[in-house]
Amino acid sequence: MSRVVDAKGRDLQSVSQELREAAAQDAVTLRNADHLHGLAAGMKSGEVTIQGDAGDYLGAVNDGATIHVLHNAGRYLADNMTQGTVIVDGSVGYGAGAYCYGGTVVVNGDAGDFAAVMNKGASIIIKGSVGDEVATYMLAGDLVIGGDAGQNLGNYLIRGNIFVGGAWQSLGHNTQVQELTPADIARLRGLMEQYGIEGDPASFKKIVRLSEKPFYN
Amino acid sequence: MPPVNGTFCVTVMKDRCINAAMPGKCATCVEVCPHEVYAIDDEGNVRVQNYNACVGCRICSEFCPEDAIRINPAESEFLVRWPWTFPQVEEIHYKAQTGHYQLRGFGTMGSTPGFDNITVVPSQISSPAPRDKYREECNMEVVIGEGRCENPLRLHYPFIFPAMSFGALSREARMALAIGAAQTGISSNTGEGGLVKDETWLIKGYENETRTLKRWNPGGYLVVQWSTGRWGVSADFLRAGDAVEVKIGQGAKPGMGGHLLGAKVTAEVSAIRGVPVGTDALSPCRYYDVLEPDDLKHMVAFIRDVTNYKVPILFKLGPSRPYEDIKACVEAGADMISIDGLVGGTGASPAIVTQGVGIPTVALIPPAVRALKDLGVHRKVKLFVLGGMRNGLDAYKAMAMGADGVGFGAAAEIAMGCRACMACSTGKCAYGITSQEPELRARLIPEEAGNRLANFIRATGEELKILSMLSGHDNVAELCEEDLRAMEPNIAAITGLKLIGYERRLPMWDHLGG
Repeated sequence: MSRVVDAKGRDLQSVSQELREAAAQDAVTLRNADHLHGLAAGMKSGEVTIQGDAGDYLGAVNDGATIHVLHNAGRYLADNMTQGTVIVDGSVGYGAGAYCYGGTVVVNGDAGDFAAVMNKGASIIIKGSVGDEVATYMLAGDLVIGGDAGQNLGNYLIRGNIFVGGAWQSLGHNTQVQELTPADIARLRGLMEQYGIEGDPASFKKIVRLSEKPFYN
Repeated sequence: MPPVNGTFCVTVMKDRCINAAMPGKCATCVEVCPHEVYAIDDEGNVRVQNYNACVGCRICSEFCPEDAIRINPAESEFLVRWPWTFPQVEEIHYKAQTGHYQLRGFGTMGSTPGFDNITVVPSQISSPAPRDKYREECNMEVVIGEGRCENPLRLHYPFIFPAMSFGALSREARMALAIGAAQTGISSNTGEGGLVKDETWLIKGYENETRTLKRWNPGGYLVVQWSTGRWGVSADFLRAGDAVEVKIGQGAKPGMGGHLLGAKVTAEVSAIRGVPVGTDALSPCRYYDVLEPDDLKHMVAFIRDVTNYKVPILFKLGPSRPYEDIKACVEAGADMISIDGLVGGTGASPAIVTQGVGIPTVALIPPAVRALKDLGVHRKVKLFVLGGMRNGLDAYKAMAMGADGVGFGAAAEIAMGCRACMACSTGKCAYGITSQEPELRARLIPEEAGNRLANFIRATGEELKILSMLSGHDNVAELCEEDLRAMEPNIAAITGLKLIGYERRLPMWDHLGG
């Protein structure tokens, strides 16, 4: 049994307070929270399931909690997360997984532009397609895209790997396509099995940086 | 362009120079000069190899054990060769040879509208009588976030050490700022470089990390910065602060992100920032997670939530459109706003940006104050002014124009020992303030530098107190425009202050009343 928190008509502070207290005791189911932005921010532990849609900045600065959205989530999902897991069954808006240092973000649908921007170490898995400028200035971590990507994918990539199952419109600066190694395939297969991504990992393309120091100075 | 190269004469007096008498026995000047003015040959002879590189910082002169070096300004060619002065010619050659533009730190050089053409009006008989500086008290405290969060900041002086990151500064300099703040009850700001662990207990005045023995009172406040690069930011980082500052821009490079050159990205800096060693850490110029005005409001809301509604939220602005920008910060939920002027800028920046982009500090204050007044939050949402602040006189003028306090960035570096050689971005700071090299860092003793900072703040506070009391105030929050006069029409036009002699505001300000 999980405890239920109903956010209908309530503000962020009151819902957050109840959510944190409840999550310290038990798993929590949150309802009617789509009007709230910045929910479940900075939590160090706990399991939160959100019925319905979620607003922007869900799970921002997450530091260990597991957050599961049963429908769609807004923009900036798991912004600046350091640890934990954020799973969205539907699609998400702009900037999913922006600035993350660690943890795992899983989006079962599509993600908008600028997903994984400045990713510094998280595993970000988008089963569907993504928009433009995804993984801009990514510094570490993995980004797995099951579907297609838009323009300028991986622009100024510094470190980390981007795996793409579909096609992309264009690659950004400082990127190159590299052959998958057996280790890559094994790791990708593990992630795909864990998060239910269909397909053959060997058919994915891997994008890495060209230079570690691409900036003019 | 900056009037630096080729405008100083370097003279080494051979009768005093140890090296001249005994080649190989001394090469201090070679070692300390950040601009390679001096060179040493295989036989140990020191010579001046590049007169044109001297920027007049006089570090060589200070370090010379025999006081054998004289640095004097050369005859100004700016009067006779403009616009093709030597620095301009050199800059074009540099770009032509390298394909790179010039970078430097330490803000705008040369003359811009400033506080110097404003004078303080003392009390005599027609205004409230002066207060006795020696026998009466003057309240200097500024409270930030009162009624808006659980733990407002209560600064003992209306001063802050503004954001200067670990990476840009050495670990020792960050520790010194914490010690200086702890002794004077003011705040120090992490900047966007993450947290140096020792800062968290030093700034509270503790002897060591066990936090059992208090060494310095009253203890200061640590401001942690949330910026566009988000280096080293986590929930724990936010909760480690006594306030969180949302950085929008800075004086050195408004409209650009932070720029830490690869030379300063050591293993330690790399570990905090998450960028590879030796790679430039270039922060984005804008937030990738703010697309619309309401986003900033939501961002502030969740930062408040993460910090459990305990600490104030501050904003840092570069010098752009102060009226509109200040309003946007207030609407986003700011408890305090720092606005940095054109002259400000301890950070590395393209020279053309630091020299020619933004509004001078003095011109930011009137529209910023007007914005706060129009929103009915003047003196509630605090306004701090940064950029070229040097002493209590500058602080007084800024505060009489409506600011609640001022920040000392470059002045704090100078208080630690810096001589404004402008080589901060290279990592070759001879005083170990802006260097990551162990042998240079070893020259900066945090406690000594912290004591110097505390002395600077106390002395500057006394200056502010003198001026406040001679103009009839026993509380710095009472300072007002009537305490100032503009000494020439341009500054009267820019600030709306009464012009000396005319004793009124210029007619162009009539539409604003007052």
